[in-house]
Amino acid sequence: MGSVRLAAHLAWRNIRRRPAQAALILLTLTMATGMFSVGIALYGSADGPWDRVWKATDGFHVSASYYRQGDLARTGTDLTEVRHKFAELAAAPGVRAVGGPWLQLVQGRLDVAHGGYEDLTAEVRGPGRSLVDQPLVTEGSWLAPASEGIVLEQGLAGALHAHPGDRVRIDGQRFTVRGVAMTVSQGRFPLTVPAKVWVTPATANLMRRAGLTAGGIEMQLRLDDPDDAAAFAAAHGDIESSTPTVFLETWRERRAASHSDIDILAGTLLAAGIVVGLLAVATAAVIVAGRMAAQTRQIGTLKAVGVTPWQIVLALLTEHLALAGLATVIGLGAGRLIAPRLAGTSLTVLGDPETPALSGGQVAVVAGVAVVVVVLSTVRPALRGMRHTTLRALATQARPPRRPARLAQLAASAHLPLAGVLGLRSAWRRPSRLLTNAAGLALAVAMIVVAAGLRSSLSRLAAQPTGPGEALSGAAIGTLYQQVRVIVLATAALLLVLGAVNAFIVASFAARDGARAHAMLRAVGATARQTVVSLVVSQSGACLLAVAVGIPLGLGLWQLIDGGDLPPVAVPGSALALVAVAVPLVFAAAVSLPAWRLAHRPVATALAYE
Amino acid sequence: MSTPTAVAARGLVKTYAADGVPVRAVDGIDLVVEVGETVSVMGPSGCGKSTLLHLLGGLERPDAGEIVLDGRRVDGLSETAWAVLRRRTLGFVFQAFNLVDELTAVENVELPALLVGAPSRRARRRAFELMERLGVADRAGHLPGRLSGGERQRVAVARALINGPRLILADEPTGNLDSRATAEILRLFADLGRSGQSLLVVSHDARVASTADRLLTMRDGAIVGHTRLDAGSPGALLAEMAGLPDLGGPGPRGGEH
Repeated sequence: MGSVRLAAHLAWRNIRRRPAQAALILLTLTMATGMFSVGIALYGSADGPWDRVWKATDGFHVSASYYRQGDLARTGTDLTEVRHKFAELAAAPGVRAVGGPWLQLVQGRLDVAHGGYEDLTAEVRGPGRSLVDQPLVTEGSWLAPASEGIVLEQGLAGALHAHPGDRVRIDGQRFTVRGVAMTVSQGRFPLTVPAKVWVTPATANLMRRAGLTAGGIEMQLRLDDPDDAAAFAAAHGDIESSTPTVFLETWRERRAASHSDIDILAGTLLAAGIVVGLLAVATAAVIVAGRMAAQTRQIGTLKAVGVTPWQIVLALLTEHLALAGLATVIGLGAGRLIAPRLAGTSLTVLGDPETPALSGGQVAVVAGVAVVVVVLSTVRPALRGMRHTTLRALATQARPPRRPARLAQLAASAHLPLAGVLGLRSAWRRPSRLLTNAAGLALAVAMIVVAAGLRSSLSRLAAQPTGPGEALSGAAIGTLYQQVRVIVLATAALLLVLGAVNAFIVASFAARDGARAHAMLRAVGATARQTVVSLVVSQSGACLLAVAVGIPLGLGLWQLIDGGDLPPVAVPGSALALVAVAVPLVFAAAVSLPAWRLAHRPVATALAYE
Repeated sequence: MSTPTAVAARGLVKTYAADGVPVRAVDGIDLVVEVGETVSVMGPSGCGKSTLLHLLGGLERPDAGEIVLDGRRVDGLSETAWAVLRRRTLGFVFQAFNLVDELTAVENVELPALLVGAPSRRARRRAFELMERLGVADRAGHLPGRLSGGERQRVAVARALINGPRLILADEPTGNLDSRATAEILRLFADLGRSGQSLLVVSHDARVASTADRLLTMRDGAIVGHTRLDAGSPGALLAEMAGLPDLGGPGPRGGEH
């Protein structure tokens, strides 16, 4: 039988013999690949709708804008110079069509139903259709001559729950909503503030009388080739460096900035995917190492009958690569299913989100995560198992102690309970497994600490009074942070569950390793409960190490994250104390399960256990 | 006047499933071990000797039958109650020694004493006394992995004796020992009988069986032979000579009962 065929045969037999272990590896791998897949799919899902709106509105290739404090008409601004610059741009080679320039009325106050007001800008448009950046009407109709109605930007209409025919109050005056529209030149409210409405010159006059000021001018350009936008902006760089300053922005720059909340969600998911991936390495490594220890005798037998060590490693890799393949498929499928739903909650997506077509690169990244996890977790224990001589493998035993543990001696001299002392005696019989377990748990603890910091920071943010002019947007932004909080908390919970699963697996192997020793103890009169306590104590080193390392690690990570848009808040001491108490309790519960199951087997059966 | 009973079993049955087929490892055994008596159980491999011992010590549950230990019915006790009972009333000696690897020799010996709540100093003193008597006091601080087979078994015997149990159950106690170590253990067992403790020993080894007052022969889960080894019989003489390194000689002899 060829190496590959033999490896495939052994791999298939192993999966069938240990479906629970295979399922567990598959589950952790799928969590990692799923998170990555959702993150990747999410990143692109806002581009499609943006492009659709961009095309439907004859969207700009280069946007030019001029703003300054005070009323343009009254501050003596050199408007002639500004107009000249805009005209120069409009007449520049490569420009195919021009929208505007349009006057921007600023410092409007839109009354909000539950009190307060929202800052507002009104863009003055002619009632006709513009060649460039003609907003796409989604409800009602566009501006009409001699109409005093206004058209609301779609995000604003959504936040106000306003529809055509409704009336809104701006600076004390009531205006009828004529329509709702969207365009790429204006980001979606509330991530883009101030809120925006489109008005006719006649309505603009009413607004100016009510107190709005002419604060800026915008002009949208379409070029012969949209790909020339960056070059065009660069060629007219002097317009941005001279006074009065006109700012230029390309459509690609605006598109990248337009889905910032999606990017935040996707970034959070990718970061979570990396952490879950690391924990998946720990889980898979613990399972593989435990299995290698348990199967050492079987490996010895295989080697004795002529199977080469590499064939054994190949079998193990084949088994886990098959699981990685399955996890990739499931993860990608989950990404395609979940990403559109998540993107649908976005504050900025224009229209319905659409998941971009699956690319080879996406598949490679997600599969790469699974393969890296498998290789990192499989190769080392497999090679270690392989290095054992055939004879040693046939007579496998857990590492026997070489000298009595000092800690246990101290514990005994301090008259600690006997079961605890016995647990300390066997604590370090599988140090690498203990450390792997501790590493996985430490990640979970660190993530919980970060989640606790984020929770209190977001709570402080929610408790902060919204600033003037943010009565609507302040609350809406909170929705985004809430989403991020849910992802971080869910990831922390997931990591804790995975950490507990890791602890359970390690404890299962430890229980199996210690089955005979515990049966001996029971034969001389120890109760089942005492043997369970002994096993929990023997494993608790991993948990204590994880808490000791995980809390500072989490605090360090929180320090790194801190300084973003969130209020800087220290992780509350009460949360840290809760982590320090709750994690060992969850761990003890997870560890005691296999010990309890084993402790209730007949002593004679356990004494015969190998 | 009847002799007090250390352990008695009536109609003991234990069935295992071997490849889906039920096999009676112990098939309706009646047995009495009197206080101070040494009883050997012999028989071919797989005849149910060890299972019988495990049932009597509560290491396994019988499917049917009664066990009376020290005048008390115990076959229905919970696992915890059995554990507590074993601490005070029973001592086990196994072929594989079954010492706890993580504990030193003296810690293994004192373990049952600590489990019954003896103060640690008294437990340690008692453990040293026993180990001294058994000739392994100089190995007290060593882990089991550093002891020879004979030393390990003597430590195991000391552990079985530390709480002064009324009944010692020994399963192939010399199975892993060379001749010299076997002789040491046999001498210990002979001492046990003299100190009034009961001993039920399961063994393939005729030399071990010869140290007993009675010899039971098992086959297919049932006791098929019952022999009393009288004082002065070859078996008893063998017991007297048990200290000699190379015993050899014939198996037990005596009248069938």
